[in-house]
Amino acid sequence: MDDFEKAIFFSFNPTVDANLKAQATAFVQQAKQSPTIIQACVEKLRYSQYAEVQFWCLQALEEIVKQRYSSLASQQRHLIRSSLLAAVCFYDRDASSAPAAPPFIRNKLAQVVVLLLCIEYPSQWPGAFVELISFLSKGPMVVDMFCRILIALDEEVISLEFQRSPAELALATRIKDAMRQQCIGQIAAAWYNLVAVYRSARPDLAALVLEAMQRYVSWIDIGLVANESFIPLMLEILVSPQENRGLRGAAADCLLAVVSKRMDSSAKLALLRQLRLGPVCARLTSTEDGEFGSKLSALLTGFAAEILECGKERDTGEMLDEILPSVFYFMQHGDEDISSTTFLFLSNFVKSATGKQATHLRHILELIRYRMRYSADMKDALDVFDREGEEEEERMDEYRKELLVLFRSVYRVAPEVTTSFVKGVLVSILGSSGTPFEEVEAGITLLYCLGEGVPESSLKADTGDLPEMLGAILTMTVPGTSHRAVAIVFLETVIRYVKFVQHHEAYVPAVLGVFLDGRGIHHPNPNVSSKASYLFSRLVRTLRLQLLPYVDSILQSLQDTLCISAKKSSPEEKFYTFEAVGFLIGAEDLPRDKQEKYLSAVLLPLYQLVESTLASKVSYADGNQAATVALLQQIVLAINHFSKGFGEQLLVNSRPELGNTFKQSVDVVLRILLAYPRVDALRSKVISFLHRMVDILGSSVFPILPTAIRQLLLQSESKDLVEFIQLLNQLINKFKSAMNTIIQEIFPSVVDRVFFLLPKGSIPENVVSNTEEMRELQELQKAFFNFLHAVTSNDLSSVLRFQTGGRLNEIILLLLDSSCGHKDILVRKICVQVLSRLAWDWCGNSTVVEQVPGFHRFVIDRFAADCCIRSILQASFNLNDANTVSLLNEIASAQKTLYERCGEDFLIQMATKVLPAVRCPPNMAEEYCLHIQRSDPKVLKTFYRNFAEKLRFQYNSGNQ
Amino acid sequence: MAMPGQATPGEVSFKLVIVGDGGTGKTTFVKRHLTGEFEKKYEPTMGVEVHPLDFFTNCGRLRFYCWDTAGQEKFGGLRDGYYIHGQCAIIMFDVTARLTYKNVPTWHRDLCRVCENIPIVLCGNKVDVKNRQVKAKQVTFHRKKNLQYYEISAKSNYNFEKPFLYLARKLAGDANLHFVETPALAPPEVHIDLAAQQLNEQEMNNAAAQPLPDDEDDAFD
Repeated sequence: MDDFEKAIFFSFNPTVDANLKAQATAFVQQAKQSPTIIQACVEKLRYSQYAEVQFWCLQALEEIVKQRYSSLASQQRHLIRSSLLAAVCFYDRDASSAPAAPPFIRNKLAQVVVLLLCIEYPSQWPGAFVELISFLSKGPMVVDMFCRILIALDEEVISLEFQRSPAELALATRIKDAMRQQCIGQIAAAWYNLVAVYRSARPDLAALVLEAMQRYVSWIDIGLVANESFIPLMLEILVSPQENRGLRGAAADCLLAVVSKRMDSSAKLALLRQLRLGPVCARLTSTEDGEFGSKLSALLTGFAAEILECGKERDTGEMLDEILPSVFYFMQHGDEDISSTTFLFLSNFVKSATGKQATHLRHILELIRYRMRYSADMKDALDVFDREGEEEEERMDEYRKELLVLFRSVYRVAPEVTTSFVKGVLVSILGSSGTPFEEVEAGITLLYCLGEGVPESSLKADTGDLPEMLGAILTMTVPGTSHRAVAIVFLETVIRYVKFVQHHEAYVPAVLGVFLDGRGIHHPNPNVSSKASYLFSRLVRTLRLQLLPYVDSILQSLQDTLCISAKKSSPEEKFYTFEAVGFLIGAEDLPRDKQEKYLSAVLLPLYQLVESTLASKVSYADGNQAATVALLQQIVLAINHFSKGFGEQLLVNSRPELGNTFKQSVDVVLRILLAYPRVDALRSKVISFLHRMVDILGSSVFPILPTAIRQLLLQSESKDLVEFIQLLNQLINKFKSAMNTIIQEIFPSVVDRVFFLLPKGSIPENVVSNTEEMRELQELQKAFFNFLHAVTSNDLSSVLRFQTGGRLNEIILLLLDSSCGHKDILVRKICVQVLSRLAWDWCGNSTVVEQVPGFHRFVIDRFAADCCIRSILQASFNLNDANTVSLLNEIASAQKTLYERCGEDFLIQMATKVLPAVRCPPNMAEEYCLHIQRSDPKVLKTFYRNFAEKLRFQYNSGNQ
Repeated sequence: MAMPGQATPGEVSFKLVIVGDGGTGKTTFVKRHLTGEFEKKYEPTMGVEVHPLDFFTNCGRLRFYCWDTAGQEKFGGLRDGYYIHGQCAIIMFDVTARLTYKNVPTWHRDLCRVCENIPIVLCGNKVDVKNRQVKAKQVTFHRKKNLQYYEISAKSNYNFEKPFLYLARKLAGDANLHFVETPALAPPEVHIDLAAQQLNEQEMNNAAAQPLPDDEDDAFD
């Protein structure tokens, strides 16, 4: 091994000593610059014993061909081409003595040859393919290279699977045209001969030939492959059991490419008839699995799909009947990969199915049911839902997705057939208490799916298949609901059809039974019981009125689940029980005294629990703080969920005494905040709580806000700050100028924090910025702009005026920059609105005194010029985008405001400085001034849009 | 001369190549497994770094030498040279950046040129982010090429083990192989609330299911 080879090895090796590696890398990089690099590479490629070295040389040649081939002397170009060809022929070494180069060297070589072809074929190297074909007689190694070059040509240049630029597409067309004209016939003949010659001795090589060929079928003359010699050869390979599996698979792929080729339907039909794959495959299907099975199934369904397509123009029913049994066979196949290949075809088949095909449809439904069952072996794993069970469920969900799409398609075409099928399944499930869990689970799931497209009218009906089925599952014992999977799908199904119960109130007790007894919220499996809590809350939302007579017994039954204890923490889903109960108690139709009683029964224990927890705080050692916080968090969460069932109308207007009970919660929660001011998770829950209370209690929460806000301000992370600012925005929009004092007080701290967290200048926008941290900052910035918007649009702009230490300046400049160039157009719009509002509030004119010294000049010199005119000239300002148009409208209105406040000063600046500077002709500028002065806002907007288009045109034509 | 990342005697190990556009989270992903803390900042990988990742299976310890390669061409170093002798691979894209998915075929091609017939997992990263650009049902590439697809979130450790488990099973030729202990991972930066996510999904489905679905709603993509 010489130094050059060693250096290459070291540079490949990431574990080598850093110094040594740096030296080695420098050495090989330098070698690339040497004038003799080409010579060195072709020699090493030929003589080095190390594949890594050969690979490196091919990479170096790749770079040279890509980057500077045309600037090379013709001698050097010739050297590259002839050396690569020599390598393709393995330097005419005796194949039996020379060890084969590893596949990655052969592929890399093929890639570099293709790069050369891209430059030289056909103009400088018209004989490229003919030359390659002439080498084929040199033996299998060269045949292998020939195929790899064709495959590389497809992947690097032709295949549409990759992102390609217009130039690359043009290149592909150039090469394809030349090949079609010049040599594709010879290539196809070579394919045939090679397959025939190598199929027994080297089936792997014959398969490679077919793989290459399969890629070309879509763009070459179909007659070159779909002919009297090729088709029989491929069919023969496909069906011979003694033939190599890989080769048979390759033949299947080729035949699939042939049948999928685009052509007119009569030619296609003739081709399909010629192939007669139906009978061929019928003989094959018995034992095929694995990769060949998939390929065979893909071929078969591809073939069937083409028949179906042709069927749009003429009758192909007979051909379909011939092929369908084979398709069904594959659909039923135990290997999911194989069975999945049939779905797309079957789905299309179903869509076009007619009444005559009901038998086929029933068959498909039965296959769907058959295939969607879990294996009985998985029963326990799915019940305890351990890792294995989870994995199994995930796998099944993925597979079922497609199966159920098919089911829905059948339902759409044949709703009666489908419904009666599902009914049959249910009857058999309910008929025996010993029905295995997988049968029950699959059957109920089908009923669940059936509900997806059911029109409400069928749920109103008293008779028919559907009402019978629903009545049956609600009143009869569904076997196996002690199993997790069965119980969950059963509950989901009941909820999906909840409207049926709404229309048939007699079933209300039954449906309550389902949720309140051991099948639902009290199911021994915690996965089921928490799911049931959530579903119960949905039930209550729909059946609120129907459930009112049962409130007493519901609450009694749920008593145990409405307790929160420090001992066990509950999954978040559990809190939906509180939500459900809230919706029941919050109903206005409930008598006042009952409502009061229930409300106290739920809330007061929670308040007491807070009291006692906070009181015993001292007794907890530090290690217990986490447990305390978790408990308090659960309490706040419970109140949040519970409150969702109540509205401001009820709590403030019609029954204020209920409101008072709720109001106590604000004090209680506030005490939590005071006790644990710096616990993130807790604070976040408290913020949501305040959002809720503002919604349901309105202005009666106002008095406690200052304390809450001050407490919440003790934080710094950007995510928390966003939540906090969002709360402020809600408060300002709700209470408007009443917020003046408190906003005045906290405004400087909020601004300080925002500016501390936001980077100076704009937030970078590129791939690198696509991180969570950057997103958080963008969110923060947006929340801040919304905050400024809330402040200014609610007559609170005076809080900005009294900022000290240049803060006001910073805010205004940030607004200005963002109004001109923020990536998000909607943010720009917000900034324009804020600045426009500030101009209205602060600028002076003959009748109004300027509120902020210098602001008048600033808006005219900067905002008017930079945002109103220059920003709309940017190339990225796309007037075909709806958001941008709405921004432009905002800018137009802003100018009207500027004119009304700043008067002639503004117009003079625009007409004499700003507009001339962007090549606006005087007549346009004059028209502009007239519109600003006289037009009403609507007319002004229309004008301004035209004006913007013209101005952009003027400006850009001047730039060229 | 031994190449790095190849087995030392008595050790069951595989060279795993991880590729994908820059910024998709490859380095972040492999670093979850190490003691090294999760990097919030992006540092474009210089050429390649090799991380030995151990997993404990019912058949004993298994080590993946993860070659974390440069996504950005300018740091390319030996580019596809690093794939040589790769025994399995992960192709990563970012579900919040559509272009990174569009480039998957190219990564796959470049990988397969050097490593023929190796098991490959396609990973859609950053599924914790709210506004994804590539929805799960738009991801179809793996079907055409017989790859396994997983949605992951390096930040939250969501599905961290899945790709490794799949590759381990393929390489061992044992579909029942499983991990007997959870590897030590960096603590999650964000929590994907799976229950909440399922509820969201469900609520969306329910909302969509209320009226009679439009004919094309569930058509295949």
